[in-house]
Amino acid sequence: MMTRSRLLLWVGVFGVAALACLAPMGEAVAGEAAGLAYFQQAKINWRQFEGQKLTIGLNKHPYTESLLPLIPEFEALTGIKVEYLILPENEYGAKLTADLSQQRGEFTVIMAGAMRNWGYVPPGWMVPLDDFLKNPKLTDPAWFKLEDFFPSLIAANKWNGKFAGGTGEGPLWSIPVMSESYILAYRKDLFEQHKIKVPRTYEEMAEAARQVKQKAGIDGLVARGTANFPTIATGYLSGVKSYTDGKWAELDGKMNAQFTDPRVIRFSQIWTDMLRESGPANWANMTWYDGMETFAAGQAGMYPDCDFFAATYEDPKKSKIAGKVGYALLPAGPAGTTYSGLFTWALGMSKATKNKEAAWYFIQWATSPRTLLNATVEYKNYNPSRLSVMNDPRTQKVMGGWGGGEYLKTVQENLKTARIAWVPNPERPRLGDTWARALHEMYFKRLTPEQALQRANDEVNKVFTEIGLRK
Amino acid sequence: MGTQRAPARRREAWLPYLLLAPGLLLLVGMLYPFFLGAYYSLTSYFLQYPHLFRFVWFDNYGKLLQDPLFGISLRFTIGYATVAVALQVILGLGVALLLNSRIAGRGVLRATMLMPLMMPPVITALMWKIMMAATGSGILNYLLSWIGVGPVNWLGSVDFAALSILIIDTWGNLPFVSLILLGGLQSLPYEPYEAALVDGASRWNVFRYITLPLLKPFIVLAATFRVMDALRIFDVIYATTVGGPADATMNLHMRAFWQAFQWYSMGMGMAYAMVLLLLVFIASYVLMGYWKRAAEHTTV
Repeated sequence: MMTRSRLLLWVGVFGVAALACLAPMGEAVAGEAAGLAYFQQAKINWRQFEGQKLTIGLNKHPYTESLLPLIPEFEALTGIKVEYLILPENEYGAKLTADLSQQRGEFTVIMAGAMRNWGYVPPGWMVPLDDFLKNPKLTDPAWFKLEDFFPSLIAANKWNGKFAGGTGEGPLWSIPVMSESYILAYRKDLFEQHKIKVPRTYEEMAEAARQVKQKAGIDGLVARGTANFPTIATGYLSGVKSYTDGKWAELDGKMNAQFTDPRVIRFSQIWTDMLRESGPANWANMTWYDGMETFAAGQAGMYPDCDFFAATYEDPKKSKIAGKVGYALLPAGPAGTTYSGLFTWALGMSKATKNKEAAWYFIQWATSPRTLLNATVEYKNYNPSRLSVMNDPRTQKVMGGWGGGEYLKTVQENLKTARIAWVPNPERPRLGDTWARALHEMYFKRLTPEQALQRANDEVNKVFTEIGLRK
Repeated sequence: MGTQRAPARRREAWLPYLLLAPGLLLLVGMLYPFFLGAYYSLTSYFLQYPHLFRFVWFDNYGKLLQDPLFGISLRFTIGYATVAVALQVILGLGVALLLNSRIAGRGVLRATMLMPLMMPPVITALMWKIMMAATGSGILNYLLSWIGVGPVNWLGSVDFAALSILIIDTWGNLPFVSLILLGGLQSLPYEPYEAALVDGASRWNVFRYITLPLLKPFIVLAATFRVMDALRIFDVIYATTVGGPADATMNLHMRAFWQAFQWYSMGMGMAYAMVLLLLVFIASYVLMGYWKRAAEHTTV
């Protein structure tokens, strides 16, 4: 995610070369044949697009790591050749947007998802997947089992194309391959030892952070803090939404910014005060990765962020605190409910794709129950997007042990109210960057929370007017 | 005979163009992206909103002047380049003098000095980010604690972020300056030094009135290269502070990148890039003129 070096991993070329050797062998290997037999239960002809070629664009992510080793199976199954390009997240976004905007079709299958779709659907760069799903020549619905996905994740990837709303309505643009929601990971050992209460409100959270710092001598909490939108996207945004009981949105129906709501000002103050008093000295410089590393190194009491970081915390090779972490819902708002944000990477299709059917075959294969199960069980793709994968005994065996069972319980509870936190709009990065800069101004006491959020409000409104999004 | 020479002459007529072709192609290859960028800076060009594309003359530049971050980033860009180059040239001169003198292990030192140059700036930056950790594992703070200083919140505080960038950048680029100056020192003529020796000049006077003036073209050359790079510094900032905290390390290049590749606002991004280009052009034009004069003066 960090490196900016133009790391164009044309591993695809290698992949194809390797496949040329492997493909004939594949049939001979019993395990692989058994794997293919599973796919052949689908009442479609997997080989009808044999010989076609696909280039897929992938973002560097644990999900991608879990997909790569499985791709030869797709090639053996369909005879479709796959090349891929992996880029770190920032470059991926820029390159993908450039490719889509010029409709070059360099990328066919793309890693999209709810929030990215808001930028790609309105200009007409993506293909709705409903027609492929309904076509009996291309999909066997009884085998594919779309209903097996977590409903909230499917809803997140449906959108009617209207800004400031419309999620869960309209066409399905992409199919989820993983999900993350935001929970509170805390040092159970320290909380018990020093009799610190697991916070249920944000005031209690600030108090808990203070006590950890005082009694245990480590940072009370860590959180993302760089001056760009990821700082907003997880713990903070979930906090704002919970603090306002899920009733406040950063944009109203006419796309006017709403940062100056008194509750938002109050929450932002609690958050930045908490970080200044009890957080890491270098909060303003901390990425999700730094936060995860610091927490896993046992140097912080709490980390309100991605649930699946648990895979790292609970791995003794990467973590000094395996077995010592508790998992809880993020604190709730006045009405007692937590509204966590939700995020999903999902596979979609570029409209400029020439071999659309072949591309659909790839999406269908990659999101099928078996492939996603393998991705999770064999290659650590968390959290699974399908119920059947989540409920599989092998998944349960791994994830069920985290936090002594607390992890799975917390995530399942969280998913009841978790939802895509952002209001659908194509300017989420800019809006989030502006918002994050406001948090910096508060944290460093350059401006009061009122002034900082007012300025962010004005900036967003100005830009939205300029590009004609504000009605 | 005449009939035989005609085709030869025709061939000769083409020859200059043929020989120039690679150069012309290169020129076109360099100028095309430049003019395209300049053109885009005059358009309303958003990757995500193709329908908004139109020619808007200098609108982007007008908006840019109203952007509070423009002033902040312009000031940082110029200020940073000035301080960084001054520091790196002075330190680089020191290192060059040291490596030019007869000290033990000079060969090893010269080879070691080149190491930072071989590292990609992003790797350098990430390495330093780890060493500059504010808490726990930061080796820099650990070393400082020996002399009772710190801990310093290197990259995470408004006060130290720019200094941290300066340290990382200097570590990476000092060898470059030293190398040019060392080359310069070794090419200086002996005669003035012999004359100074005969006159019994002090070491300081030799340095001040002979070495420094003779070395001037090399100093200006090194400074020119460094100014161009320092004005455009990106990798180190991107890998450590992304312009923060609270805009403390925000420069024009960062802004241009943000506009063009984070927000897909190509028109504004290109306008920022053009301002940066202008700055680099002016700085290098002035310095190159200075270099030419210095070189003429010192030609022996």
